[in-house]
Amino acid sequence: MMNALKICVFTVLVAAFYSYVSQMVPQKVTYPPEETELGADMTTEELVVAGEEIAGGKGTCLTCHTVSGDTGGRFPDLANIGLVAADRKEGFSDVEYLAESLYDPNEYIVEGFLPGMTPISDPPIDLNDEEILAVIAYLQSLGGVATVTLDTELRWQSEENSAAAAAASQAGAAAGPSAENLSGEELFAMYACGTCHSVTEPTPLLGPSLYNAGNDFSTAELYEAIMDPDAVVAEEFTAGLMSAQLNATGFYDKISSGQLKTLVDYLAMQKGGS
Amino acid sequence: MKWLARRLPAGSLLFLMLAGMALVAFWAPDAWAQDAAGPVEYRSFPVVGSRVVVWVIAQLHLMFGAFVLAVPMFALTIEFIGFRNGDKRYDDLAHEFTRLLSVSFSFTASLGALLTFFLFILYPRLMEYLVSIFDWTFMLYACVFFLEAVFLYSYYYGWGKMPKWLHLLLGLGLNMVGIAIIFIADSWLTFMNSPNGIDAEGNLLSTWDAINNFTWMPINIHRLIANICFGGSIAAAYGAYKFLGAKTEEERAHYDWMGYMGNFIAIAALLPLPFAGYWLGREIYAFSQSLGIALMGGTFSWLFIIQAVLIGNLFLAANYYLWLSMERIHGAERYRKFTKWLLASITVCFIVWATPHSLVATVEEARAMGGSHHPILNVLGVMSAKNTAVNVLILTTYLSFLFYRRANKEATVSWAKTGNIVQFGILAAVVGVVIFLGVYGYFVEASVRIGLSIPQVGLVLFAMISITIIDVFMFRNARILGPIEWGKIPNRAQYALFFIAITFAWTMGLMGYVRSGIRQHWHVYGVMRDTSEHAFTPTLGYAANVVSVTVLIFFAFIAVVFFLSSLSGKKKIEAEGGASS
Repeated sequence: MMNALKICVFTVLVAAFYSYVSQMVPQKVTYPPEETELGADMTTEELVVAGEEIAGGKGTCLTCHTVSGDTGGRFPDLANIGLVAADRKEGFSDVEYLAESLYDPNEYIVEGFLPGMTPISDPPIDLNDEEILAVIAYLQSLGGVATVTLDTELRWQSEENSAAAAAASQAGAAAGPSAENLSGEELFAMYACGTCHSVTEPTPLLGPSLYNAGNDFSTAELYEAIMDPDAVVAEEFTAGLMSAQLNATGFYDKISSGQLKTLVDYLAMQKGGS
Repeated sequence: MKWLARRLPAGSLLFLMLAGMALVAFWAPDAWAQDAAGPVEYRSFPVVGSRVVVWVIAQLHLMFGAFVLAVPMFALTIEFIGFRNGDKRYDDLAHEFTRLLSVSFSFTASLGALLTFFLFILYPRLMEYLVSIFDWTFMLYACVFFLEAVFLYSYYYGWGKMPKWLHLLLGLGLNMVGIAIIFIADSWLTFMNSPNGIDAEGNLLSTWDAINNFTWMPINIHRLIANICFGGSIAAAYGAYKFLGAKTEEERAHYDWMGYMGNFIAIAALLPLPFAGYWLGREIYAFSQSLGIALMGGTFSWLFIIQAVLIGNLFLAANYYLWLSMERIHGAERYRKFTKWLLASITVCFIVWATPHSLVATVEEARAMGGSHHPILNVLGVMSAKNTAVNVLILTTYLSFLFYRRANKEATVSWAKTGNIVQFGILAAVVGVVIFLGVYGYFVEASVRIGLSIPQVGLVLFAMISITIIDVFMFRNARILGPIEWGKIPNRAQYALFFIAITFAWTMGLMGYVRSGIRQHWHVYGVMRDTSEHAFTPTLGYAANVVSVTVLIFFAFIAVVFFLSSLSGKKKIEAEGGASS
């Protein structure tokens, strides 16, 4: 009986000790994110303030990113993102780069970091197009000058919002360059084909080199290789990888027939081996 | 009480009691009033709220489930060892472990039924959705659970009443079915964390893809190993409980041995557990960086400081028990001089592991430090340091095991000296490289640093496996310096076993909380929001109090299991050929 009592007391004391230790760490209640009010007539300055609130709240940006100027973190520091955004990706303005990094974050990975950020337009973050514009305004303001407004049109926006934004753009809002007008090289970069295929070196990466694609493949074969990548797969490459990647990034939903032709024409011009 | 215990299964008592409470709670007309207004998404539970009641019952069910699924694994292994070497002690031990199962199974089933009732009553919208995804798996689960009961009771009651090979086959069947149960249940809960096999609106595309989601297999493996840890520690606590109440030397010897075996199983399974944890963490990040960051770098980052305290204590207590155990072994005094160094290594690793990246400080302290990061301790609060500390901690504990293993043996092979040098060389080289990789991590980019944990883990596994292989061959036909005097161990060693069991249970409660908690305001992450009044994530202190209460309830129930197990089918411990041999 005495032993049983001792064991009971001991059990209570150990559990109480762990409860006590747990009271010593910071105590914070995390509530579901609150919606930030965005008025249709907000100025860019007001948008910056709203964007900062969204970035720290519903957007959960600051869970991973810092805005301190420190380096060595797991995700890029954003202290000067407004300053460097315009130069980060060739052919992209600062707004386009920031928009892509929010809607399609794994299209371009800053050197030294790994892919993996969730598109913030998708659940669980699930920001709408207006909230993303506010975040872009805030990011532009970090070391740079915010220019976007709620009328700014982005090619990544959802259809209904694009329609609204298009209507707004008729009233004079700034619009980014149309994706239909991009060159084959730009499309190759935009769809991150270079992650797995090289056009500058004959050395294969994850997929075969396209350095000499114009000589190695007919135009029809290039079309087939893009639209049905598993139709013919060389032995040394993994079947299903490219189709899985393209499906995962929504490539087939995004690419238009005009873009596809431009891309195939660009690949057909790659005759580095001749 | 004895009369009641013999006539009414403990699980039935528990179920009736809890069902009565539930009936009283839901009797209130308010709980049903909202039905008239339309489809019900949530119902409330008085006093503690619906979240806490489901939380506590789910955790209790998990703890009992873990125990019931783990014990047959090592009981079968021990029985098989006894069958192969003809040592009856092993058969007795396996039978005694199995005796704990009968009552525990009733508890598990009762708590499972209660959890199901509460989930369907309190969270109808969520359950309706989960049923739409996993419909036929619920039926399969029920069938497999029924099979589990058949196998378990056949295995327990058939002991000694059928050919051994048949009994072992029953044990194998019991384990297979047990694993199937845990895999099915894991698919439901992992789907909530890393949903798969559904379209953007959450409609089912493939049940198999929903089952085989990102975290399913890592959780399966992690839980299997953790269950063995937990089951072993509870069985060891049973041995400790019986040891403290033992009346004879034979009983003390038997239960000392039982406690040792239970603890050996628990700690042997604990060593690879962090590696399974790494895998789970990687899969969480692979599924969603946001989820991974919420786990390790955001809301729950401080929880891992508490976890470090728990695991550090586990290692400390496990080593302490081993060192005390060596007191009953003649010849072990040769290794006693190393204890202080082992303790120093464990302490340093523990401190590094439990060092937070940022400190809770007053404004003045923060100013003096130049921020929330301490200028020196900040260096120890990052993953490079912590991974290194954990790996060295594992190797130190392994070394304690190695000393215990060879305590009363002297190698007689001609190459014993070379063998020792090679073993030491492997250990020193691995520790050196693990520390080097840890330091190197400070000077490389994040993408490289994250990958360094893999060679660290690989090296530690390599060291443990290769040194063990050498040790096995080196101590074949070894000269025995003296007997192991089972039963001659201080009582405080038994309290170390209780401490380990309580800490395992508490860790299980805490990690169960974080696995569920990282979804934050989502029932199904990114698919179904939690729109209830309990959608917020409570403070860690609050969560810890819930975990403590759950652990205390669990041990109250376990005390009943121990008591009833002692009453039923008492098996005579044989004086001769028993544990003291």
